[in-house]
Amino acid sequence: MRCQYACGSDAHFSRRGFLQTGAGALGALGFSGMTAVSGAEQLASQQKQVVVFWLSGGVSQLETWDPKPGTDTGGPFLSIPTSVPGIEICELLPHTAKQAHHLSLVRGVNTAEDDHGKGAYIMLHGHRQTPGFEYPQLGSAFASLLTAPENPLPGYIHVNGGGSPSEASFLGPQFAPIGLAGGKPPANLALPDGITVDNDRRRRELRAKLSGRFATGRRQSETEAYNASYDQAASLLARKDVFDFSKITDADRERYGKHEFAQHCLMARQLVENGVTFTKVTHTNYDTHSENFNFHIEQLGEFDRPFAAFIQDLADRGRLAHTLVIVMCEFGRTPRINHLVGRDHWSKAWSIAVAGCGIKGGTVVGKTNANGTEVIDREVNGGHLFHTYYRAVGLDPTKAFWHEGRPFNKADPKTDSIHEILA
Amino acid sequence: MADNPLHQPSSGRLMPGFILSMAMLASFLHVAHAGAEEPALRTQIDRLIAMQTADFDKLAAPVADDAEFLRRVTLDLTGTIPTSTVARAFLADQNPQKREQLVDKLLASPEYARHMQRQFDVALMRRLPQKHVPVAEWEKFLRESFAANKPWDLIVRAILSSDGSDPANRGPARFYLDRDGDPHVITKDVAKLFLGVNFECTQCHDHPQIEDYRQEHYYGVSAFFVRSFVMTDKEKRVVFAEKADGEVTYESVFEIRDKISKGPKSTLPKFIEASAITEPKFNKPEEGYVVKPDDKDKELRPIPRFSRRAKFAEFLASAENRRFCRSSVNRVWALLLGRGLIHPLDLDHAENPPSHPLLLAHLADQFAAHKLDLKWLLKEITLSQTYQRSSRSANAEINPSDATFARALLKPLSPAQFAWTVMQASGEVDAHRIGMGDQATEQALYDKLIGYENRFVQLFGGEPGKPPITFEATADQTLFLSNDPAITFMVKPKSGNTADRLQKLPPDNIPAIAEELFLSTLTRLPTADDVADVQSALAGATGETRTAILYELVWAAISSAEFRFNH
Repeated sequence: MRCQYACGSDAHFSRRGFLQTGAGALGALGFSGMTAVSGAEQLASQQKQVVVFWLSGGVSQLETWDPKPGTDTGGPFLSIPTSVPGIEICELLPHTAKQAHHLSLVRGVNTAEDDHGKGAYIMLHGHRQTPGFEYPQLGSAFASLLTAPENPLPGYIHVNGGGSPSEASFLGPQFAPIGLAGGKPPANLALPDGITVDNDRRRRELRAKLSGRFATGRRQSETEAYNASYDQAASLLARKDVFDFSKITDADRERYGKHEFAQHCLMARQLVENGVTFTKVTHTNYDTHSENFNFHIEQLGEFDRPFAAFIQDLADRGRLAHTLVIVMCEFGRTPRINHLVGRDHWSKAWSIAVAGCGIKGGTVVGKTNANGTEVIDREVNGGHLFHTYYRAVGLDPTKAFWHEGRPFNKADPKTDSIHEILA
Repeated sequence: MADNPLHQPSSGRLMPGFILSMAMLASFLHVAHAGAEEPALRTQIDRLIAMQTADFDKLAAPVADDAEFLRRVTLDLTGTIPTSTVARAFLADQNPQKREQLVDKLLASPEYARHMQRQFDVALMRRLPQKHVPVAEWEKFLRESFAANKPWDLIVRAILSSDGSDPANRGPARFYLDRDGDPHVITKDVAKLFLGVNFECTQCHDHPQIEDYRQEHYYGVSAFFVRSFVMTDKEKRVVFAEKADGEVTYESVFEIRDKISKGPKSTLPKFIEASAITEPKFNKPEEGYVVKPDDKDKELRPIPRFSRRAKFAEFLASAENRRFCRSSVNRVWALLLGRGLIHPLDLDHAENPPSHPLLLAHLADQFAAHKLDLKWLLKEITLSQTYQRSSRSANAEINPSDATFARALLKPLSPAQFAWTVMQASGEVDAHRIGMGDQATEQALYDKLIGYENRFVQLFGGEPGKPPITFEATADQTLFLSNDPAITFMVKPKSGNTADRLQKLPPDNIPAIAEELFLSTLTRLPTADDVADVQSALAGATGETRTAILYELVWAAISSAEFRFNH
């Protein structure tokens, strides 16, 4: 079991001491108050948004970002030129190739973990799971750090996936993902049958009166938090159009594609445009232990066009400059082709792609050897990637979260950002 | 009383875990010889709380009125609120002993056992998914133990000595088995739960900020479990078996990093600062077994002559284990008062002293002297003035800090409490109770309505055994309470529920409608302002409009801040 170095902080901790010196305001906030980043940094980063395309099961780096045509491991596909001279990607991504000037390809990823769950953990938390340290996932972390307090929308939405409160860990349930399973809007956005807008207004007025009378003479931080959630729900209700995907035009549907993933990309675009901080879109399933090549033709055939259209649209509308886009999964696939014409789990030398906010487009960092079995230049792991994501959106990854007197590193302090690709 | 143990100065450092403290010894003697002269624990609680804070009397909120007390203690001991009928009777009761009688009644109810089962299930199992032991068997074990008021040390010992090999009693084995027997997870959890120690950092090195928490302590506890492993036996049951050999080794990662490590160390099993336990030596490894392991028979469960794990259960869960008693009373205190005397519960160390050290020591002593009788402890605390203080100060200028316990804290309802309180307030439970007639036992109602509880748990999550540092409420929770058909179904008038009762009262008798509404939902009589609100809401309304307004009134009460907390 690898050890967590997070607790090596020099800051001497004593809760009692903290609460005394922290005075009333901080004391009332408790330790979640300590997770806040400095005001200026937060203000500057609050315009930033993040979208993750999660290619569940593990997409092959050889059939995407790091092709090795003509080698023993390369498989049947060719590589094609992209919008950036000198950068080639797999021919299964012709539309994406035209967006390469927005993309940065990280080709030296080594996460050393071939288990789905553990690999996903590393990619979504920036390091290995450590018993007793319940880290927030990337989505919850960014939702908490990047969402402006007045933003009525949930900070973290997962399109085509669920949402577990545990993802937010100590950041609290308001930063847990809201899942849009099958692209459906969140539950309970409609008033109950037979309850008119007038009934609703009156019942809320009554509840506010009762709650106000109760608060007098009592400690109010809890009651205020509770009342605020009703205001938040009301603002969410007022903006439920954000989740109304029926207005997506036929032209867009034509351009992105008619299949589910294309629709999910359009939903993601709508969420980003409405100001949702963190959107995750899951595309499944890339776990191609057999028939790797046929599966990739099919899967990437879905992925390529809407993903490229998404990048193009964000760029055209000026949103890409402040939206970080990450295409990742739990690991890559083995260079060796198995007897079922499949590729197995492979974390030693694989790739991810990033684009947008804070990222230098049209770049490649890291290199694997001729047949992709080893990283030979600029090897990075989950720690480097997390440093890079944080820097890209203007946050300092070296400032830990604090919870119950313990620091929780945002990114592994033994690593640093991939400065070559940061704009 | 010069030798009153309560006047012993606190040393400021931790008391050794295994020494029967002088304070405790003295208490034993006191109980034995002085009996009736010993002031009741409830009185001592109030005295020790007051003496810790300068000008306590000025800060202290008045004692809660009957309604506030009734709601609070019913929620704390049974996890729900009383019906309007019970509330009306309690308020009308002129007996000066009625609060004590109420506590006795609640402690004897089946709802008490269910509520304690839930609270301790979440504390002990952290909502871990079911793995090898059916959750229902574990819950039954807990519920029956609390119903029988089994001493707390015996409950814990039953859990910690269970290996799952007895098919008739696999419930308590869930603690180990559904953690997959992982010695690190078990070490951390037993330390947190029963010793008040957060061992997180110490698996890899001494705690960098807490001088009292050392890597050596971690491995001392871990050594009790290092020989244990999960296996499937001949009956295809997953059991927690143990070998007769195997030691822990550890090395500080800081020392490795700084190249000053002298190599891996080992330790015998021990509890934090106590000395290591002695264990028998065997000349040959196989002599250490009652049943020897057999490489050819993987389903044969080895049984060692000397079980470290059995020693752990025996030594840990005992009135003589000071740390165990301290952390146990601290947990019970936190459940009732909303905050531990040591806070957070698992940071018992010299630099985080208890807010009321003498009280904590006295509670631990008395709990031990009363054979770790939970009902007795709950009764004494709930009958103290400290517990019974109002959550509202005499005037808005008085704002005592939480750690003074001069005013009752607002305790957010746990998901299960919230579910059952909504069901009781809306009259969903009443409607079922009427419908089921004689069959309406606690168990039958529970079976009928558990689905709602599960929905609340899913949405509101959290650990009720662990007082939250900050209360949080989210929009999706609020949308659920506002718009979900399940809630609307309970709140809208239907035969036997609260809105239905309101509908059947004479429409012009506003005071009676307001009284039934407030007693049913908020367990108190309405104020003049409340009656005025009901009056203006219903003014002139008839037919369907009136029905809708009755729904609005019940919903407003259920969704109010007053309802959301145990105050």
